[in-house]
Amino acid sequence: MSSEALVLATSAALFAVGAAGALVHRHPVAMLMAIEIMLNAANLLIVLGARVRGGADAEGAALVVLVLAAAEAVIGLALALALFRRKPVPDVDAAAELRG
Amino acid sequence: MMPLLAWSWVFTLPGLLLTALGVPSSRNKAGYASLAGPPLLLLVALAALLNGGSYAVAFDNWLPFLPDGAYRALADPLSALLLAILGFVATLVYFYSLGYMATDPARRRFFVYLDLFVAAMALLVLAGNLAVLLIGWTGVGISSFLLISFWRDRPGTLSAGLQALAANAIGDGALLLAASIVPTGCGALVTLQTPRCTGGPGGAEFLALLLFVAAAAKSAQGPLYFWLPNAMAGPTPISALIHAATMVAAGVYLLVRSHALLALAPEVSLAIAVIGVATALGASVASLYQTNFKKGIAYSTVAQLGYMFAGVGVGAPFAGLFHLFTHASFKALLFLAAGIVIHGAGGRESLSELRGLGRFFPFSRVGFLIGSLALIGTPLVTAGSFSKDAIIDAAIAKQPIIGWLLLAGVILTGLYIGRLFSIVYLAPPVDVHAAHHDAQSERPMNWSLVPLMVGAIAFGWLGSWLQATLAPLLGEIEALPPPIDPRGLLAFALGAVGFGLAWWYFTRRAEAVAMAPGQPVAEGEPTYRAAGWVSVLADAGYAVARSLSRVQSGGLPRYAMGSFIGLALILLLREAIR
Repeated sequence: MSSEALVLATSAALFAVGAAGALVHRHPVAMLMAIEIMLNAANLLIVLGARVRGGADAEGAALVVLVLAAAEAVIGLALALALFRRKPVPDVDAAAELRG
Repeated sequence: MMPLLAWSWVFTLPGLLLTALGVPSSRNKAGYASLAGPPLLLLVALAALLNGGSYAVAFDNWLPFLPDGAYRALADPLSALLLAILGFVATLVYFYSLGYMATDPARRRFFVYLDLFVAAMALLVLAGNLAVLLIGWTGVGISSFLLISFWRDRPGTLSAGLQALAANAIGDGALLLAASIVPTGCGALVTLQTPRCTGGPGGAEFLALLLFVAAAAKSAQGPLYFWLPNAMAGPTPISALIHAATMVAAGVYLLVRSHALLALAPEVSLAIAVIGVATALGASVASLYQTNFKKGIAYSTVAQLGYMFAGVGVGAPFAGLFHLFTHASFKALLFLAAGIVIHGAGGRESLSELRGLGRFFPFSRVGFLIGSLALIGTPLVTAGSFSKDAIIDAAIAKQPIIGWLLLAGVILTGLYIGRLFSIVYLAPPVDVHAAHHDAQSERPMNWSLVPLMVGAIAFGWLGSWLQATLAPLLGEIEALPPPIDPRGLLAFALGAVGFGLAWWYFTRRAEAVAMAPGQPVAEGEPTYRAAGWVSVLADAGYAVARSLSRVQSGGLPRYAMGSFIGLALILLLREAIR
């Protein structure tokens, strides 16, 4: 197994773990962490692409993803905090007032 | 005469300056200085039209950043015809306004704006290239805004004016783009179709599409119709001059002027025809539901402009232009006649308040009747039949579906104009004392109608002469139908049936104003008369909405699962297609 294939498999596995976590967890902070894992899986893939193609542009994109993840965490944590203040139990299922 | 005509857009500027500077100074003579401009324009345009020939003005490098930055004006029989229409309607509207605006404290400002409009409109018509056309195009848009919002302290006038400005900005943008993408040295309107000039990005199709967007915005076609009914917030003479006879016809004029370019872009021509017929039918239906007298007529204008667009779109530019010519007189007549009743009722415009008041204004009643008969195309005795039949015949010959739809639409024309006429002029009045006569201000208004009545009756007979005059400009022209023509008679029969139905329905029911199902029967009464099919449709819509709203469960995990599954499906689909 070549090293590229190994990295590719790792990335896919990380993404699957993150996606499953985001889908099964009900705690907002746990969901945020799962989303971070998915973002990192994507980042790994980008860095691998940069290695294979040998350009610097993809590494720049990876840096952008890092910044994006930080911004996303800020907003996500703020949302989680707001949810903690309103609901006795931290469960995203409880926040369903906007249903049609 | 053509060299003089090429500069005729300055004719109203002295009047503009004098009126703006307060000459004559007495308040009840405000605007008198402006009265000379439009008749002068009419006389010069008529003389030029009779003498023929053409004359071009060019100053190079006037706007050096455009591909063709010269100042080019072109006076030829086509622009002379448009200027004659402008001069004719403007002259009558100026005199009419002396009565309509008699007691308005801002009468001076009104005439200044009118002068500005006539100058911009004349410049638009005389434009020889896209750059000058754009100046006139924007100028009429701005003066239209100023006049729609003329009574700026009344609620709704400013937003109506801004809507017009917004819609016009779309057209201005398209025109600016067209003026910018043509190859260097191109831009003269008569040479846009040459191979060198269609070599810009997108070719002839894109250029034609841009001109079509500009024309549709100015003439309130398709989705850009929305501003014209709201433009009725302005004074009635403005509705007659700008929003019925001249400015909204500028789109049709542009398409007629560039007919050779449209011939190179058959898809765009088809789109023009389809949009035209769709607008004609949709606006005719919309007119039936208006509770405001002027808005009812405004939708009729949108519909008639749709007929003109359809005529140009099927490749019959002369038929569209001819309808523009006759429509200018009978639609201005309808508006000015309506204005007399509105003026007599103290500015009220809603149909329930004007109900039956028309019978106290005999000039207005006769004028509106003649205008209505011309609108539905009464053969021989009105102008509308000649031009509408020309459009319908040409459309049936070239695009049969569009042609028969236009023919069938005449029944809607009869219905909506019959409805307005029956409610305002035939129905028994609700309140006899709601109408007031003021002989001093009514006299100029009444007499302004007479030339328009003559025009609405007789202008159709000028068709073959116009055809001979314009033939060198428009290339091969389709033959005009004879005055009595089976399809024309069928169209008139449909229109008459619609008119009769409307008369039967609206004069018998004291409370019927709009045809809308579900309207309250009378004020303060909770009963709604909803027809059976209306409630079935409403229930069906409600059931669909309720079943779809279950998707919006509000649960975050379900949403996340939904987006994952959706993404997976899209990726699978992509692989499957590959």
